[in-house]
Amino acid sequence: MKIDVGDYKGNKVVSLAGEIDMHSSPVLREKLLVLIKDRPQKLVVNFRDVSYIDSSGIATFVEGLKHMKTYNGRLQFSEIPQGIMEIFSFSKLDKVFEIYGTLDEAVNR
Amino acid sequence: MNDTVTVRIRSHPQYLSLIRDVTARFCSICGLDGEVTGDLKLAVDEACSNVIKHAYRGDTSRGIVVKYAITGRDLRITIEDAGEKARLELMQGRDLDDIRPGGLGLHFIKRVFDTVAYDPKRKKGNRMLLIKHLGSRDED
Repeated sequence: MKIDVGDYKGNKVVSLAGEIDMHSSPVLREKLLVLIKDRPQKLVVNFRDVSYIDSSGIATFVEGLKHMKTYNGRLQFSEIPQGIMEIFSFSKLDKVFEIYGTLDEAVNR
Repeated sequence: MNDTVTVRIRSHPQYLSLIRDVTARFCSICGLDGEVTGDLKLAVDEACSNVIKHAYRGDTSRGIVVKYAITGRDLRITIEDAGEKARLELMQGRDLDDIRPGGLGLHFIKRVFDTVAYDPKRKKGNRMLLIKHLGSRDED
């Protein structure tokens, strides 16, 4: 898995590529928690190039969201491929995460 | 077709991608479509992750054996370990509406396999049996 952190229109964006599984999710978790420690008002995760996610990856994002909610921060997802979206929907995560079709839609909200 | 494939890995998460690849390839050989293959790949990955997390309590030096077989109209996958005994009745997974980290793996396994069971005759370690009914298929 590849993790790129950048700025887009004044927002922190985490762009992910590849497979998020039990092997890679601890690295992602560490990266996310470091970013959240700075208490960003908004953090966007772009899934465009993610090909796989398992329950450990989902747990990582749920944990990140819980941390951000403690200070009313917003964790937003964008460009989720259909296969990944189906897993999110099955897990009912589409009801708790802010999900947007494009990166621009996410940062403009 | 009555073929079997056996894969033996060390209980390290870095080998889960190999299990996913083999699962996908076996499903492809069996003529399964992409959607079912994706679900099966995730389920077998979750089952092996559970072995590492629970049966081996994170010990990455142990062994996991995954066997794939087509028998009649069933895809049968068995996952064997030599770790602590698992008790399916205690592994219910979390309520899907109770959003919190963890507790999803078993849901991903049960949503695609018709049978999810542990072999009670296995004396040491676990043998998880996963069966997917494939319906009518063209035989080779």
